[in-house]
Amino acid sequence: MAMVMDLGFPSFESFDYTTTTTTTTTTTTTTSSTDEGCNWSDWSPVVDWNEISGDQDFQNLIDSMIDENVVIHQSIRPIDDDDQIHEAEYNNSSPEYNMAMQDEAGSAEDSKGLRLIHLLMATAEAMAGRDECRGLARVILVRLKELVSPTYGTNMERLAAYFGDALQASLDAGAGGRLAPGAAEHHRADVLAAFQLLQDMSPYVKFGHFTANQAILEAVANDRRVHIVDYDIMEGIQWASLMQALVSRKDGPPAPHLRITAVSRSGTGRRSFGTVQETGRRLTAFAASIGQPFSFHQCRLDADETFRPTSLKLVRGEALVFNCMLHLPHFSHRAPDSIASFLSGAGTLNPRLITLVEEEMAPPSEGGFVGRFMDLLHHFSTVYDSLEAGFPMQSRARALVERVFLGPRIMESVGRIYRGRETEEGCSWGQWLGAVGFRPVSISFANHCQAKLLLGLYNDGYRVEELTTNKLVLGWKSRRLLSASIWTSQDCDL
Amino acid sequence: MFHPKKASSMNSPMCDSGLVLTTDPKPRLRWTVELHERFVDAVTQLGGPDKATPKTIMRVMGVKGLTLYHLKSHLQKFRLGKQPHKDFNDHSIKDASSLELQRNNASSSGMMGRSMNEMQMEVNRRLHEQLEVQRHLQLRIEAHGKYMQTILEKACQTVLAGDNKAAAAGPTLNFPTLQDLNMYGSSDHLHHQGMEMESLKRSTPYTGKSPLIWADDLRLQELGTASCLDDQIGPLSVDRGSDIDSVSDIYETKPMLSSGGHDHKKYDVKMDRPSPTPPRTVAISAGGMRSSPFG
Repeated sequence: MAMVMDLGFPSFESFDYTTTTTTTTTTTTTTSSTDEGCNWSDWSPVVDWNEISGDQDFQNLIDSMIDENVVIHQSIRPIDDDDQIHEAEYNNSSPEYNMAMQDEAGSAEDSKGLRLIHLLMATAEAMAGRDECRGLARVILVRLKELVSPTYGTNMERLAAYFGDALQASLDAGAGGRLAPGAAEHHRADVLAAFQLLQDMSPYVKFGHFTANQAILEAVANDRRVHIVDYDIMEGIQWASLMQALVSRKDGPPAPHLRITAVSRSGTGRRSFGTVQETGRRLTAFAASIGQPFSFHQCRLDADETFRPTSLKLVRGEALVFNCMLHLPHFSHRAPDSIASFLSGAGTLNPRLITLVEEEMAPPSEGGFVGRFMDLLHHFSTVYDSLEAGFPMQSRARALVERVFLGPRIMESVGRIYRGRETEEGCSWGQWLGAVGFRPVSISFANHCQAKLLLGLYNDGYRVEELTTNKLVLGWKSRRLLSASIWTSQDCDL
Repeated sequence: MFHPKKASSMNSPMCDSGLVLTTDPKPRLRWTVELHERFVDAVTQLGGPDKATPKTIMRVMGVKGLTLYHLKSHLQKFRLGKQPHKDFNDHSIKDASSLELQRNNASSSGMMGRSMNEMQMEVNRRLHEQLEVQRHLQLRIEAHGKYMQTILEKACQTVLAGDNKAAAAGPTLNFPTLQDLNMYGSSDHLHHQGMEMESLKRSTPYTGKSPLIWADDLRLQELGTASCLDDQIGPLSVDRGSDIDSVSDIYETKPMLSSGGHDHKKYDVKMDRPSPTPPRTVAISAGGMRSSPFG
């Protein structure tokens, strides 16, 4: 049974920020030219800045955006057909205003949410513009910080806090410089608790793992030896369920020998899950406990995180599988070059299977930094929604997951798109694999069925769709979030 | 006529009227391997499932207590299994002419009949596969949970051991945050670090909705036709049954199962069962029906 949740902030679907408004923005050169060289009419087409700015300077303008009690003449285009946001003049002294406030208690939250979005967007635009506008960006961020907190408030408020921080950090780092390395290391107990919670409140982790595992199981059904090369093994939990399935498989040679080679990096990883060696020990112990023949190896990446296929130990007759999990909520970002070296290195070895799990992002919009920023905002707000649906009452638990995993991801993503040029990979890794010549492998009925059943254990809002024959995509409501795709190398015939 | 007998009390079940009957109030026949083999033998003797009729089979098998009714439906299933393209007719009609009439009849509506059968078979197959997938998924989730426990246990030991050192090194020990979260019910049992890990461990197997909900979903997929699945899916969440109560404590600060409309869909079990003692096992039969096709 579908449940409509009023989350108190405007639906992103209807918030169309890329198209121009119908109200004409006349370029008045009178007052606007004095505002630090920024032409108001260059700004967001959604809000008619000229009308708002008038003779006012920055401080008043921003105050007026923030303060609910001030009269605002908003030419905000009616965005939602449902009239979630009204085209209105708010005047706290007018009886209409008061009535409106009483009639729709939720709309105040909506307005605040919308205001926050505007502030964020304005900041992004300022940062994308000329250098002179950076000052404006900082001012807006200061005000934004006063309104929101990362630990309390609605989804939108907490999200805005993280995005605000991310923008701030990008500003501070400067256009060319690298972002300050990694967020503060979280305490191990926090990370583990957050990981546990993440898996309980959402299917992201299991979806990726189980879909990949099912494809692997099907591909090695008749093999006695299986070798999996894992790009980012983290805590190793993906392999627990694979081992269980291998041990209990009915057809094919029983108890095939499983060999896992974990790709390890020389730098600091997510220490809180332990080192790769610890993961190996854990996996070995687990395998022993269920009677799965198992051996564990490591394969070091170069200092620049390039993968060298020659450093792998291969055994003749084994079914070779390359497993590439990216972008799961608790994962760190990996450099594109490193990922490319892993996948292309895989290609040279003709593996039986390549399993890829990655974020499903909308194709990059033409809006430049602002467009990509808003898309990122949309993406993460969807994730926040989905987590809230899983744990509606436990906002502190969610705040922990946000602090430990999502916040750093937001920080890193914003920094990345801020620094990124147009050459940034416009396509997904799945598209890349297809382009360099890997063949797609169909998702079986059982796999698709498993995904559906898995999602059925969580909230109704989750959807799985078979986007192409070899790709399952997990989404929340109408937004796609995570995709799992299966590939094989050209010469190999499954 | 049929008296339920325990199989163990019989030396050679097939010697007497050695039928294995279930202990249901309705007398049902369980087609054991031996019985089925005799059936197949008889059918083969008679020239195949198309030539054989329930009456002749009954005569050849010579098993007491076996009725035409049993044989009719079993033969029907047998035919379906062996030759999915043949349409099944009621072969209790003996004379050839009427048989032929039926065949002629069948040929025109045969197309219809055949594709209906195929569809039915397909649906059956899919349902069977889905149940398999469900069973496997349950096992995989459990394995996933067990592994999670090993991670937490290890961490617990490490923390308890290195407590003194950890405090000095950088970020403060943040165990109190778990307490702050107040996820685990009252704060009474959270004064001990070990306890917190304990409750984390207990909560491991659960992913959200209780697997008990699956039973209800299955019922919705009732086919309404004779299912070819005899076996029952084993009870779900057997050894985790005891955890259900504790998990509900963990994730709710107020007593659960009193949910009105809006909160926790996780435990919004649609089945009618007395709250707060969830059954330990849930037996799920294929298609939500317990009736075997043998009436």
